[in-house]
Amino acid sequence: MAARYMRDWGSAARAICSLALFLCAIHSVAGQPGFAAEPKFPQLSGRVVDEAALLSAPAKERITGWLLEFERASKRQVVVVTVKDLQGYPIEDFGYRLGRAWGIGEKGRNTGAILLVAPKEREVRIEVGYGLEGELTDAVSRAIIEQNILPAFKQGNYEQGIINGTAAILKVLGWKGDAPGVIITQESQEDLSPLSLLILIILFVIFRFGRSGFFGGRHGRGVWGSRSRGGFSGGGGSFGGGGATGRW
Amino acid sequence: MIRTFFPRARQIFLILFFAMGLAACDINAVPRYDEETKAAWSEVLNQYQRRADLVPNLVETVAGFARQEKETLTAVVEARSKATQMQLPPDILNNPEAFKQFQQSQAALGGALARLLVVVEKYPELKSNQNFLSLQSQLEGTENRISVARRDYILTVQKYNTELRTIPGRWVAGVLYPEAEVKQTFDIAEQAKEAPKVKF
Repeated sequence: MAARYMRDWGSAARAICSLALFLCAIHSVAGQPGFAAEPKFPQLSGRVVDEAALLSAPAKERITGWLLEFERASKRQVVVVTVKDLQGYPIEDFGYRLGRAWGIGEKGRNTGAILLVAPKEREVRIEVGYGLEGELTDAVSRAIIEQNILPAFKQGNYEQGIINGTAAILKVLGWKGDAPGVIITQESQEDLSPLSLLILIILFVIFRFGRSGFFGGRHGRGVWGSRSRGGFSGGGGSFGGGGATGRW
Repeated sequence: MIRTFFPRARQIFLILFFAMGLAACDINAVPRYDEETKAAWSEVLNQYQRRADLVPNLVETVAGFARQEKETLTAVVEARSKATQMQLPPDILNNPEAFKQFQQSQAALGGALARLLVVVEKYPELKSNQNFLSLQSQLEGTENRISVARRDYILTVQKYNTELRTIPGRWVAGVLYPEAEVKQTFDIAEQAKEAPKVKF
């Protein structure tokens, strides 16, 4: 009698447990609920992604060479992107999401920057990763756009504008290379005081840990150095909306 | 002997089974998401603070060229002091009134700043002033960072609240984290109102 009772209780409990397990499984498969839609980003095919076809082959090669050389020397990733259109998103929105989706910059240090050109919307943006906001400040980014990019863009010379703009960004970030005709005006106005920069870094570290947790979570995409051979991919850096936008 | 042994084995098996079921559920999800929302919230506060820090310099620069816009400038200064003087209660994320008040005071500052930047259009001299241009681009960048921080916060809260309200997270929270509460979040409408696009 007792055994019979236990068996019934057992099957009922087992049913409940199975249900719980099933729900858990569904939960983990379904993952997170659907969040706001992301734009469709182009494939990260290299350091220069010329979807809008604004660059000639030699120019593309030249810029790619600079970016590669710069990344090898400084571990900082700069990427040049031209897009066909912004899919209805504001360029500021498109830019930081693109940077996060591609993970430009070193993971944890977020030392990445993107030069984003949208000829259809006639907008250009320098998107700056968290880790470079102190050097490539909003004011400096804007000066680069106004002085190096827009004059050429206004004449319809996209290639020259992109070459000058890229060189100026790299120069500000400490590139030793040579590019004639690039204007750099260093603003004395600092964007961040050292204290607020420190706070920002601390918050960011907390944020990162909070996001991935101490167990599991997302892991980096391989070792940094292996990337320079063959294919190119982002290092896992993140963006928070720093930079500047220009229109022509 | 055999009869008594089997039910006990089964019991142990069931307990193990149940424990596995619990392990399959992420029992740490609630506190982990909770920490994420806190971190995202700190970033929101940080960016709002950054905007408030830009205001005195901006007001001073504009006042140097456009004294007659006293009304607009005063509105900005007042909105700033209101926004920065507001005492944030520690439970602001679970406190709808305080959260709303915070949101409104920041929106008021955003609105006042946007009006200031519109007024500035009348002063070509100011618009070509290097200091002003630098401040303007910093302000623009900060507004952008605020909207990114807010969006990140909205997403983390959405994740946290969903975990708290759906099964099995709801059961886990009910047993292990009874103090966990659904958090407040920004409404998008407010955000759209707050940061009007100003063409520079």
